[in-house]
Amino acid sequence: MLALVVQPLSCTSSNRLEGYVYYRLNASPSTLDPALIADVSSAAIAAKLYNGLVRLDDGLGIAPDIARKWSISEDGLRYTFLLRRGVRFTNGREVKASDFKYSFERVLDPSTRSPNTWVFDKVEGAEEFLKGRAGEVRGFKAKGDYVFEITLKRPFSPFLSMLTMPPAYVVPREEVEKLGADFSSRPSGTGPFTLKEWLPDRELLLARRHDYFGGRSRVKGIAYRIIAEDLTAVTEFMLGNLDVIALPATAYARFKNDEKWSRYILSREGLNTYYLGMNSSRPPFDDPELRRAVSYAIDREKILNTFYEGRGRLAEGPVPHLLRRWKTGRPIEYDPERARRMIRKKGLEDLEVDMYVSADREVVDLAEIIQAYLARVGINVNIRQLEWSAYKDAVNKGEPDMFWLSWWADYPDPENFLFPLFHSRNLGPGGNRVRYVNREVDSLIEKGQYAVDEEERDYFYQKAEEIIIEDSPWVFFWHKTDYVITQPWIKGCRVYPVYSMDKGTDIMIDSSAVRR
Amino acid sequence: MLLVPLMFAITLFAFFLLKALPGDPVLGLVGERADPETMESMRRELGTDKGFVGQYAGYLKLLLKGDLGRSYYTNRDVLADISRKFPNTMLLAFAAMLVTVPLGTGLGFLSAVSAGGRSRFLERLIDTLSISGLSIPVFWSAIIIMMLFSLKLKLLPPSGTGGIRFLVLPAAVLAIPAAATLARVTKTTVLEILRMPYVTTARSKGLSALRVQLVHVLRNAVIPIVTIIGLDFGSYLNGAVVTETIFGWDGIGKFTMEGIIKRDYPVIMGCIITGTLVFVVVNLITDVIYHYLDPRIRLNVKKG
Repeated sequence: MLALVVQPLSCTSSNRLEGYVYYRLNASPSTLDPALIADVSSAAIAAKLYNGLVRLDDGLGIAPDIARKWSISEDGLRYTFLLRRGVRFTNGREVKASDFKYSFERVLDPSTRSPNTWVFDKVEGAEEFLKGRAGEVRGFKAKGDYVFEITLKRPFSPFLSMLTMPPAYVVPREEVEKLGADFSSRPSGTGPFTLKEWLPDRELLLARRHDYFGGRSRVKGIAYRIIAEDLTAVTEFMLGNLDVIALPATAYARFKNDEKWSRYILSREGLNTYYLGMNSSRPPFDDPELRRAVSYAIDREKILNTFYEGRGRLAEGPVPHLLRRWKTGRPIEYDPERARRMIRKKGLEDLEVDMYVSADREVVDLAEIIQAYLARVGINVNIRQLEWSAYKDAVNKGEPDMFWLSWWADYPDPENFLFPLFHSRNLGPGGNRVRYVNREVDSLIEKGQYAVDEEERDYFYQKAEEIIIEDSPWVFFWHKTDYVITQPWIKGCRVYPVYSMDKGTDIMIDSSAVRR
Repeated sequence: MLLVPLMFAITLFAFFLLKALPGDPVLGLVGERADPETMESMRRELGTDKGFVGQYAGYLKLLLKGDLGRSYYTNRDVLADISRKFPNTMLLAFAAMLVTVPLGTGLGFLSAVSAGGRSRFLERLIDTLSISGLSIPVFWSAIIIMMLFSLKLKLLPPSGTGGIRFLVLPAAVLAIPAAATLARVTKTTVLEILRMPYVTTARSKGLSALRVQLVHVLRNAVIPIVTIIGLDFGSYLNGAVVTETIFGWDGIGKFTMEGIIKRDYPVIMGCIITGTLVFVVVNLITDVIYHYLDPRIRLNVKKG
């Protein structure tokens, strides 16, 4: 009946903008004000609208962005950046060193309500400014128009890496002051694209800038379509209405086994760690030996290769392989007999624990697998499914004995997988959701943060990681591989392990390959 | 007017439920690495640190000014967002009804009439169809319809908000269970009426079967049918969450759902208030229609 009502339409992609590359977002970005960004959708778009002093290159190293050169003083306290000339905001004004001072102070200013103050809290004078006791941050200094200097309170080795994040992007003061709260939806920066149109919850269009200092983009623009449902996105992709999508887990096998498509799948080891957390602050899991027994009891490799279809790399510890410049001493292997012995020795057979999971099909299935493994060694797991907000709240408050979670890098430094997750200063919502407290680990992580020399830094990180593996507050599962699938006519697409890396200047549409 | 105390009661009840729900709206704002101080200052800024009475009073004050507040996450004006999305939801509801009403009543009537006939094939067929229509979950029929009409036949776009091209599939998905319900209600009602003495009278007067069915039966069956239509329409105007999400239709249902997931209190409250108003208005219209269909039903309107 429907076919009678509707005229057949020649091509469903007819309303596409020519020369634009179409991406999918699963949620509408909440803000495009870099100071306020705390979600991945927003950050990925902000990367195309703004620039910072430095950025990440493809090898996860630090590359020049607006700063063309920089130097760090020998004591590791003073960072001097020499800025490029002729970098312009969309309103045509040139970026000066004072813009960085303004932008960075704005993140720390309590009236901005930025969730990202931690990015700059190691800067000299930041604390006084945050508490309203100083009118400026002493550690941010514009020396003339093209030299910007940052002074830290103490040496802090991941600092340069952190400067690649959205909160460290430069914004034009006059626009921010003119627009107020509306700057969130009417951004203006220095990046390769400008915001052309934003239909919240539907579509967001970025248009290429011709005067971008880093070489203009090879596509006319980028369109993001907001599609909540994975299946819908896959359908749109198969119809050619989307050019690039992150491959949803449910569609992985179908495309992988399809000869026509498998060669258009791109992948890259992700900067993330999936883990089963155990609340280390109270019985029963305040006992490291019991936590280790849990790790021995679960055959993670088998789960990864069967249930998870090999879409990741087995984790040896919290730090992803990409960031680990050292060898881990003794990763924990599957040994259920040993786990059983350890538990029996403690007289803990028939132990009952609560495992919380978010109500996501894949996670619930996984929880049941873990439950089965643990039942075999005498631990009875009660799975409690919670809706996402309630789940997050419960985990932050330390309610569950066990929970399933993952951590994704903000910046590619081992410190990002150690300090927030295992330092006792970050218990709960700060990142250390297992409430793991070990003074020795605290001190090793801090030493790593202060160490100026890279080898020395790695030494401390490695030591810290070894103790953490030994103490096993997590069962370290895997580092999930990121998969992206593109249309045959898309060239120059890459998978980026950190959301802020893709500036959108490499991708292009091969018009000779566009079908029909 | 009963509306004011009703709205008051609804907002109070909804507000109470929201606060009783576990979850903290600030968590979604601060990201994965939040220090307690930032979280505390955000709670202060949003006003979620105040007690229940304080927060509710603050909300009422805002509401009385005709303001629904701003979303915690996007900082956009909730009233403006709802005014933008509500027409979409309304369009979808109307489109769904456009399919539902003729299809549901038509099939129901046919089924009832053929029930008395010699071959009950038609009745059985329609009954099977309506039972299936009722039992198929929306998410499943949505997927099947999308696979068929978008992916295989390439007739219609799978998702998006816009003109009739985008409207057909979600409207069809919504219409399936509604038409099925309506067919069943129509059938039962018509069967009952067929047994009424006045139908026998009409037949014995020598009126044609068609005339009996159209004039004497259908007219009397209209009231329960209108009730069902009113109820369905009211619920569609509150947004069809699953359908809107799968077909990427930018309506109230999806908006409400996302608000709930993120604990975006101003959005949730705004949607609840709009929804209540819509139900009241639809019920009012249904009552007025009753009166015109059957003048014995009086509208109890007090003067003054």
